[in-house]
Amino acid sequence: MDNLEFERLLKTTRLKLDEKEKIAIQKDIEEVIGYFEKISEIDTEGEEKAYHPIKVDPRFREDSVSRFADVDMLKRQSKLQDGYIIGPKL
Amino acid sequence: MKSHIEEFLDIDKPKDYYSNLVAEIEERNREHHFITTLNSNIASEDRGRLPFTVKANICVKGFETTAGSKMLKGYLPPFDATVVERMKNSGNFSFLGETNMDEFGFGTFGLNTETPAKNAFDSSYVAGGSSAGAAVATAMLKYHIAIAESTGGSISTPSALNGVVGFTPTYGTVSRYGLIDYANSLDKIGVIARSAADARIGFDVIKGRDAYDTTCSIEKIEDSKKKKLFLIKELMDKAEEPVRSSFGRLLDKLGEKYEITEIKSSIIEKSIAPYYIIAMAEASTNLAKYNGYKYGMQYEETNKRYNNFFTEARAEFGSEAKRRIILGTFIRSESVKERYYAKATQVRSMVIKEMRKILKEGFIISPALPIFTPKIEDAVKLTPTQNYAMDVFTVPPNLGGFPHITFPYDYHDGMPLGAQLVTEHANDYALFDFVSEWEESFNYRFRYNLGEL
Amino acid sequence: MKIGLEVHVALPTKSKLFCSCSMEESEYPNQNICPICMGFPGSKPMLNETAVKSALGIANALHCEINRKISFVRKVYFYPDLPKCYQITQMEESIGKEGYLEIENKKIRIRRVQIEEDPAQIVRQGMLTLLDFNRSGTPLVEIVTEPDINTEEELREFIANLRSILYYLGVDINREMKADLNISLAETRVEIKNVTGIKSLIEATRFEVERQSEAIKNNEKIERETRGYNEKSRATESMREKETDEEYGYIYEPDLATFDISKMKYVEPVYITNVSDELGRGSGVNPKTIKEITMLNRDALAMIYKFKERYNMKSILHGIQRFEKYSNKNMEAEDAVKIERLVRLIEEGKDISREAAEKIIAGEEVNIQYSEVTEKEIEKLVEKFVAENPEILEEYKKNKKTINLIIKEISYKNNMHPKDVATAANSVLNRSS
Repeated sequence: MDNLEFERLLKTTRLKLDEKEKIAIQKDIEEVIGYFEKISEIDTEGEEKAYHPIKVDPRFREDSVSRFADVDMLKRQSKLQDGYIIGPKL
Repeated sequence: MKSHIEEFLDIDKPKDYYSNLVAEIEERNREHHFITTLNSNIASEDRGRLPFTVKANICVKGFETTAGSKMLKGYLPPFDATVVERMKNSGNFSFLGETNMDEFGFGTFGLNTETPAKNAFDSSYVAGGSSAGAAVATAMLKYHIAIAESTGGSISTPSALNGVVGFTPTYGTVSRYGLIDYANSLDKIGVIARSAADARIGFDVIKGRDAYDTTCSIEKIEDSKKKKLFLIKELMDKAEEPVRSSFGRLLDKLGEKYEITEIKSSIIEKSIAPYYIIAMAEASTNLAKYNGYKYGMQYEETNKRYNNFFTEARAEFGSEAKRRIILGTFIRSESVKERYYAKATQVRSMVIKEMRKILKEGFIISPALPIFTPKIEDAVKLTPTQNYAMDVFTVPPNLGGFPHITFPYDYHDGMPLGAQLVTEHANDYALFDFVSEWEESFNYRFRYNLGEL
Repeated sequence: MKIGLEVHVALPTKSKLFCSCSMEESEYPNQNICPICMGFPGSKPMLNETAVKSALGIANALHCEINRKISFVRKVYFYPDLPKCYQITQMEESIGKEGYLEIENKKIRIRRVQIEEDPAQIVRQGMLTLLDFNRSGTPLVEIVTEPDINTEEELREFIANLRSILYYLGVDINREMKADLNISLAETRVEIKNVTGIKSLIEATRFEVERQSEAIKNNEKIERETRGYNEKSRATESMREKETDEEYGYIYEPDLATFDISKMKYVEPVYITNVSDELGRGSGVNPKTIKEITMLNRDALAMIYKFKERYNMKSILHGIQRFEKYSNKNMEAEDAVKIERLVRLIEEGKDISREAAEKIIAGEEVNIQYSEVTEKEIEKLVEKFVAENPEILEEYKKNKKTINLIIKEISYKNNMHPKDVATAANSVLNRSS
């Protein structure tokens, strides 16, 4: 992985690393990607994609309303102003 | 072996049972760091109820739940996870606290967090991860049950290293609602206990469909007994001494009752790469939400533009988390997605097919880990891929969502050794029966028995 | 010119897409919220069946190939209003794909119809970003077209027809229709994000077409970029860098699963152009008039069906228009009696004054009887009126419409048919001027 791609990933993931961390992690990542390359040797022609390990039998939710029991506690986890949650500047 | 839970429920407890227990835990916790949040307010009237802990990635209403991450410091979930609600509602259990873990479950030895848990038998050894505190707590407390979670071996590994029973159910039998996600298609909530009978009691309380988790859809659990035990040659070749010879002695004993066959499978041993690819791809999406303003750690500088704000706030992730976010994001990139992520889901299909075929005929048995319990000072030196190689036995059943159980079978230099048994999807009960049978001729050893009556 | 659209429409449900929080408007911010629509750690989505049914009806109405199995994906990007910093949306296994919508003499191809969740609402207060999660989790359907729209007129027609189709499926898009546009005059495609409302959509298109034409004329290079539309300045402007698919890194949403919708029932569509053509055939009325009246009015259409065997189409439409003009409420099924009274009077050749219409709408029976007079007698009345108001003649020379004043005055006071008065007034005035 070249520096450009590594920097793109840092930007995409909103992560910053100090120089030491950068060197260490970039090295680790190369090692791991090399390891992942192993799967390219496996012939997966015609195999289905298993997004879950089992066949999930999903159910829909009926369109009915119920109020969450503790809205205040939910809101108390963040900083508030006039009932709004304060987020970072745009 | 008799159930500790039943024994506890039968005995009268002194009024100050819980206050004494809390004091004992606090003392031991100073060395072993297995509890992260302790409920020191269990009422005396509730002393009839058995204490249960949950891994710190399972939400308990009003109790700080951090998943081992600084990003979640101070987070007080406004709701109980479904498993917590079910434990509380059963009437037999009191919530005692949350247990230490690798940040977001990212680790094999429990070391990827600020203050790691240490082995219950000897604190210079690793506890195993990522449900480190859950296994240590189980090995510490005489009467207790731990609700833990496994993505790729996070129940098996610490259970084996602390000499307790670790049960990971079939994917989709226990609701994940309230579980702080690592990798949603792999995460399974399970139980760690001091006997198979106790693990089964816990499982019966927490299992069952839940409207709040769409993927939790398995309703019927079987108990189909098997007469055959299979060893996968390619995996067994990875086991080192003294694990290899100790495990050989276990097989000799089991050979009296079971037909043991070593078989070859080239695909099962290839599970680790697809496992980490899927796990990291999913994890990198799950960790996008931690940005320092809605819950948990509050990054104060709201006057910073959002991209800077996020980047500054997210500096609080630990190294392993950062590594996995970057790797997972790389793997998901449109230009390489087919090569890694899509391919990994196909390999997963192949592994599942192959294991299903084998597991129809019998159990798969193996050591839980290929090596003897490492000392902390040695484990920290391992590179990422050396770490991943430790998961050689635990990853295949986890990748395939197959139920598996770990149980102690021997002690070496005073430290326990654990074996792992895997069965078919939804045949979870058969595992308890197997281990209960084994327990009849096995003596558990523990260094501590906190809360003994 | 090639225009492609991505239209976002809120689906009519009681609760949100993935949780049971109410969709009703709330007076205060952050009232209809829960751990799921706020993306709290540990929460998981639960898919609303009604939202899927509604989206399925839309996909069917747009002649899409209906996917019998649907699943969702995570689209990752970082923005303060996005609770999980990934949006749950659809890609390959979306609810519908490869359909079309018909406009005059043309089909606009639909690439995909997909279900997705709306983020929270941002309110700016000075330097502060304030977030209201009441809107977070609103079920949306996104309709993605191919770049088949070539003129502003086609764009208008596309939107009008789409709006009508959605209206008859129970989805109102006037209020909060949000769209992304992509416009290319030459080779380069320019995207315009987050245009709200139909009016802005047309204006943004017009602006962007002019901007690009100007650039081409001056031999300037058109940048491939994402622009935003500023409603105040009525201009598009270059936006922050947007992520591309490389960054979004879509993966299957593992907290949901693959849903089989092959047995799901949905509402059949009404194509108002076809319906109007059918109704207009042999009625002497231009189908376009019928379409105009009915395209966003299911009650009007119901009245037409009710009366079309008994009365003239022209009278029915006239009656409906009268009713709507003087009634302050929407038409309901019970209003059929009143509308029939209006239609009957119209058929009898009566002119319905405001007063008469209001009486009928209030539920009264109204008879309109005109005085029996000859044309000569009316002319006399007109002459008298003009004599008493000489300035009217001067006025009429400047503006022929002044005649209406005379017609109204005389027919009303003397209980005469306005048509007869008009004939008389015309001849008098033409003689006098």
